[in-house]
Amino acid sequence: MKNLNFTCPFCSLLCDDIQLEVKENTLKPLNSKCSILINSLKKKINEQFSIINGKKKNISQAINELSFLIKKSKSTLFAGMGTDIKGTRAALDIIDKYKCIIDHFSSDTYVKNLKSMQETGGFFLTLSELKNRSDTIIIFQTSDDVLPRLFEKYIFSKDTINNLKKRKVVFIGSKVPQFLYKNKKLINVEIIKLDSINLLNFISSIRKSINSKDSEAKDKKIFNLIELLKKTKYGSILWSISELQGDVSDLIVNEINLLIQDLNKFTRFSGLSLSGSDHILTVNEVLLWQTGFPIRTSFANGFPIHDIEQFSTKKLLDNKEVDLAIWINSFNEKKIIINKKIKNVLIGIPNHPQKNDVDIFIPVGTPGLDHNSHLLRVDKVVTMPLKKVRNISLQSVEQVLNKVKKGIVNSDN
Amino acid sequence: MLIVITKLQNARIYDPINRINGKIKDLYIKNGHIIDKPKHGERISRTINLKNKIIMAGGIDIHSHIAGGKVNLARLLLPEEHRKYLYSSSEKLRSGSGLGTCSSFHIGYKYVKLGYTAVFEPAVLPSNARSAIIEMSDIPFIDKGTYTVLSNDDFLLKLIQKKTNQKKINDYVAWILHSTKGLGIKIVNPGGINAFKFNQRALDLDEKNKKYGITPRSILKVLTKSLIDLKAPHPIHVHGCNLGVPGNVNTTIKQISAVEGKPMHLTHIQYHSYDNKGDKKFSSGANLLAENINKNKNITCDVGQIMFGQTVTASADTMSQYRNHHFAHPKKWICADIECDAGCGIVPFEYRDKNFVNALQWAIGLELFLLIKDPWRIYLTTDHPNGAAFTAYPRLIKLLMDKSYRDNEFEKINKEAQKSSVLKNLKREYSLYDIAILTRAGPAKVLGLNNIGHLGLGAKANITVYNDKKDKEEMFEKPFMVIKDGEIIVKNGNIQKVFNGKFYTAETDYDKGIEKEIKSYFEKYMGRRMENFKIQNQELWDYGIETENIKCDRNDY
Repeated sequence: MKNLNFTCPFCSLLCDDIQLEVKENTLKPLNSKCSILINSLKKKINEQFSIINGKKKNISQAINELSFLIKKSKSTLFAGMGTDIKGTRAALDIIDKYKCIIDHFSSDTYVKNLKSMQETGGFFLTLSELKNRSDTIIIFQTSDDVLPRLFEKYIFSKDTINNLKKRKVVFIGSKVPQFLYKNKKLINVEIIKLDSINLLNFISSIRKSINSKDSEAKDKKIFNLIELLKKTKYGSILWSISELQGDVSDLIVNEINLLIQDLNKFTRFSGLSLSGSDHILTVNEVLLWQTGFPIRTSFANGFPIHDIEQFSTKKLLDNKEVDLAIWINSFNEKKIIINKKIKNVLIGIPNHPQKNDVDIFIPVGTPGLDHNSHLLRVDKVVTMPLKKVRNISLQSVEQVLNKVKKGIVNSDN
Repeated sequence: MLIVITKLQNARIYDPINRINGKIKDLYIKNGHIIDKPKHGERISRTINLKNKIIMAGGIDIHSHIAGGKVNLARLLLPEEHRKYLYSSSEKLRSGSGLGTCSSFHIGYKYVKLGYTAVFEPAVLPSNARSAIIEMSDIPFIDKGTYTVLSNDDFLLKLIQKKTNQKKINDYVAWILHSTKGLGIKIVNPGGINAFKFNQRALDLDEKNKKYGITPRSILKVLTKSLIDLKAPHPIHVHGCNLGVPGNVNTTIKQISAVEGKPMHLTHIQYHSYDNKGDKKFSSGANLLAENINKNKNITCDVGQIMFGQTVTASADTMSQYRNHHFAHPKKWICADIECDAGCGIVPFEYRDKNFVNALQWAIGLELFLLIKDPWRIYLTTDHPNGAAFTAYPRLIKLLMDKSYRDNEFEKINKEAQKSSVLKNLKREYSLYDIAILTRAGPAKVLGLNNIGHLGLGAKANITVYNDKKDKEEMFEKPFMVIKDGEIIVKNGNIQKVFNGKFYTAETDYDKGIEKEIKSYFEKYMGRRMENFKIQNQELWDYGIETENIKCDRNDY
């Protein structure tokens, strides 16, 4: 048995203050109550076979079979993409050469952030700026489900470089995070309950009042909030696009980005999008630097074509625009979409509940548990190094895909 | 091991470090390096006849933004720019897109096709260093290195505020270099990026940062001395105060006097050479600055020339980028406050030849090239992509080498700008020998790199072979052959084989005692452990990055 310093790979906060007890490959966090971490480590790995058409096979057979499928395929989609920097690089190596398409589990909501950035840009900040500099923090509809320790570590932390004594937190949204309720008496929090539609109107009203000298807000809540914004020395605005109502979420994000631009005319404000589940940010960064485009990009023509509508996984599968879907998820058991009319492959954690439902299943380890890794934090600036902590002979996505590529190349020759 | 010796014969060689100015001479390559000649009994396995060709060492770009968070944000912001420039994959090459913020593989392809074999990313924030270096591992061919940005991080500013002794500051600087695998340290708007986080909108050299009560001058002095004390390979690399502000030439000159004769590299001086005379309160300060640089032999500089057309500006200088966001074209921009160490700003920009300010910026850059007399102290850059993409270098070289072409181009720009510029009166034309200094010998010397930038004994066999053409743009945009580490990688503009270059880092030493304070700072304020900030060699090796460590033993400061 040994205790290790551990960096948690299961959300994009990538907390590195975890003490981990390692006992015969059983992992137990000693100083964290984070629900995502505890649930992720609970799962026991009982078997780690590859599966082809429902039959257990060794991994090299499964890899060969996958190489064959890619070579044969007219159009392949890499979906899910729950992987790290190296896994993404290995995938892109194949995607580019064999003219595939790439999407991610979290794209449906994340592309709305992307779209807003592509249209208006924005003003952003990183986690330590949030922690040390913000005297006002406005949180638009964000629960503590996605980044459970955000509040504890970065919003209500006692020590700040700038000795912030009177930090004010305003929550605006419909579902109030548990952490805020529990600590309501201890911290200076104001809660404004609003659903997404009203949220959009609310932000627009704030912007209207700020941008017009003559228009003073009549609504008391808006009036008070504007007074607070004006007094703020350095404010942060946080939002979580996946928790906003789908049909207006892109409009809300646009309004938030424009509000931040308005506020910077007289004081300092920055924003932080809290999206990024299943490490879409990591995948997106690699995709951007290697190809110039973000997620939802096709290489079918031999060069990258980015289209957030056309290359959505659901659309491609529903319309049978691909004949092979390769799902990757090295972090969790998230459900995948299986269209029985095409070939489906899952490169996933050994316990994945749908492993018998696909044509080929290849088990892989989890970054930061079974192999060294790098993942990007929610602010997209910090890349964290993660170290292997257990030894159960599971290969990484990178290793598997490099072998797949070799298999295709060998069959070419 | 199979010894392969290649002989390049009959070419005219320009190698200023070895004082070879257009002499026809044979070169021998063995194991990726230049040798004097084969030893007795060693056989020449390949002879390449380069009659009528011109040879220089591989080009070195001392300041080009090729990786890191800011470049990726720019890619994200401008899909329309990337759609204009699409590159197909081929048997050997990856696909890609973009020009100013070209995708990583194609940065490597494009640089070597221009005959450049070493490029330095000049603005790596400490917090973003790991990401930037991993990204750079996807830029093939070229040797690389980074300058880590200091001068705005709260830890350093507090040290200076507390009047901490220079020794401890040197330990911190060395620790940063070591931890972020930098080759150099870059100052960006000293104290200004931090001040902007406290809503200061401008910060002149002697103005105090509201929070720390210290001035840019004090930061500049302390960091300049640090690099000298550490005997770092490259002196302090400075992006000064007031970038882009009319009248900033006076600040730039004050900065030169602030370092009191110590070595300092001033980067993209074009953006820091503006006077505020005339009706439009914008005029050229090139003459003033050039005179000053001519007098102060401790100063080196690169120009950051602008070229007309669409590009995107990307900088750690949030204060200046925010100030300039009104000029964004198209109308969108990104800024960020980053990790208590700096920031970044992305503003797309279109430089237009008929616009007075843009036209004068173009002329100011060229004036600087022509008025600064010593080619060993001025280097050719466009501050890629801020002034233009590096692919504009051949045209820029033609502007420097061909006065009649320069005069023709000058006739096309805004008439008011023409009246405000002395460019037409400047008769100087750069020679091939001068260009070899500007783009090879000079940068290698100021970076403290002894094995590149020349073709003498022991140098890496990084060699560019040009067709001798009267039109210098044509000559420099498509070298006949490019050799990297002894291998022919480009022939007639076609890439022959792909491999990765080395990664230069500065090998420093520091008192490990400094880590106690930094460790506690990280855990208390940064929300992560110091150990995870420090980049380990193993991490680089995992990405196939081979480092070349440059000892801090420079003795000419």
